[in-house]
Amino acid sequence: MAVAGQECRDLWLSGRGPLLLFAFSLLLSAFTYLAATNQAINFLEQREAVNLTLQIAVAVGVLVTLLVSADGISGERERGTLEGLLLTPVSRRVLVLGKLAAALTVWFATFVVSVPYIWVLGRGVSVVGQALLLSLVIGTVLAVGLAALGLLVSGLSASNKVSIAVSFFILLALFAPTQLPGGLPKGWFGDVLGRLNPVGAGLHYPTAILVNGHDWTQDLNYLIAPGVLVVLAIVPLTLLSDRIVQLEPGSVR
Amino acid sequence: MAQPNLRTRQLTKRFGTRIGVDALTFDAERGEVVGLLGPNGAGKTTTIRLLSTVLAATSGDFSVAGVPSSRPAEVRRRVGALPESAGYPRYQTGLEYLTYFARLFGHNRADAIRLASRLLAEFGLAERAARPISTYSRGMRQRLGIARALVNDPDVVFLDEPTLGLDPAGQLQILRVVRDIAARRRATVVLSTHMLAEVEAVCSKVLILDRGRVIKWSTVAEVTAAVGAPRSAVIRVPLDQIGTAVEAVGALPGRTVSAADERPDALRVTTTGSSDGMNAVLAELLRASVPILAFEVEGTRLTDAYLSLTGDAGAAADADIAKGAP
Repeated sequence: MAVAGQECRDLWLSGRGPLLLFAFSLLLSAFTYLAATNQAINFLEQREAVNLTLQIAVAVGVLVTLLVSADGISGERERGTLEGLLLTPVSRRVLVLGKLAAALTVWFATFVVSVPYIWVLGRGVSVVGQALLLSLVIGTVLAVGLAALGLLVSGLSASNKVSIAVSFFILLALFAPTQLPGGLPKGWFGDVLGRLNPVGAGLHYPTAILVNGHDWTQDLNYLIAPGVLVVLAIVPLTLLSDRIVQLEPGSVR
Repeated sequence: MAQPNLRTRQLTKRFGTRIGVDALTFDAERGEVVGLLGPNGAGKTTTIRLLSTVLAATSGDFSVAGVPSSRPAEVRRRVGALPESAGYPRYQTGLEYLTYFARLFGHNRADAIRLASRLLAEFGLAERAARPISTYSRGMRQRLGIARALVNDPDVVFLDEPTLGLDPAGQLQILRVVRDIAARRRATVVLSTHMLAEVEAVCSKVLILDRGRVIKWSTVAEVTAAVGAPRSAVIRVPLDQIGTAVEAVGALPGRTVSAADERPDALRVTTTGSSDGMNAVLAELLRASVPILAFEVEGTRLTDAYLSLTGDAGAAADADIAKGAP
């Protein structure tokens, strides 16, 4: 608790958290304005506008979370503050879990910021509650998985720049295919690819419910990939924390 | 018989094929200040990281206050360390910083704040307790780092170049703190430094490393006496007496005379003899009726001994580092 609390204070009182949140708000404002304009001139249905804004809010929210976690270990190393932490009896597992918890506060903050935008766009079609619940659940699963992945990358990277660049690339590689004009290639290959990509599959699920009107249970298999991402990132992060949290990346204690 | 406060046996650390520390063996008692010396790359920082469990040894073991290195979390409860390039969160205040570390050592919030306040007062930082660390001078940050190393009331304290970059007043302040930790808290202090005058001032023993190996482990007095290192001094005499002076000193066995810093009225005398070798030089000059205008022994006794022990090896190690050798 002490580690997570201090990490949160470091993040929010240093100005990094508020700055990222401000940038997120600006981006979401611009995007919501465009979505609302398109909706007003009938290029977008109201449900589609809500879904599109939700997707951007989730994608950018988890991106910001990923970037914060990517700074978690490599950043401490470069600032010379990691050795002090390693001199305490606190286990390295507790240190990474504390950092993970702090990074997730960024996701929850972006979620809170996105609430009024989704509410404004979704008024009158009774999708606001569904959209917010979907955003919270899907976003939290993706944020946990990607933040853990970011910490793994951070622990193994030779420098903070490398860590942030690699993490940014990972998210782009996962998110970009979902935004291709016309979506992924049709057919079984495209379908498998869509289901394997945790971000793509995670963002498909709210689309199926909000836009296509599917039942909540109908497309549950799209949540397998995000769930697998969480397991594949959290398990090595906690089991290998002694090897990941090192003064020199990749060295053996 | 009670176990030494700090005990190491054949402690070895390899980084691939490179040896960081090789078969380090020594004991240190409570209240002792051990100077850890050696050229760059000798293994001083690696030694401190091994003994504070930040790095795991390749082989060998050690114990702190009887706790074996096989229980690293418990060892960390008994050691405190100021790393060489300790970083500080710039926006945290000194009080918040120490409180956080006290909490990591298991204190509840109220106790942690009390302890942090006490340490800040002890280290002369009470007035700056509520100010961000970014406003602290380097000396204040070093004192804060040492205060952090003491939040768990450690049995052994490791200080890695604590006076680096400090002005003379700051250096003296830190040395007073080092003495105090050993004397009042009865902790063993391991002080890594390149400043040999500091070692002579505060250390009871020295551990000299070179390329990971111990080349001397002894008291300061024993090191300087046993090595019989050459000593040099610059002597200034009237210009018209320089020939007489050179003749008189040159006749003494075991002394070499050379020009000093291109000054025509000064000569440098180097002696490889006993510690009173310079006394004989002065006596000979007086016997020859040469007025002595100035006499200055160069370096400290420990400096001479250290250079004698590590001189070539130290230069070679520095060259290896410069060439990027592993």
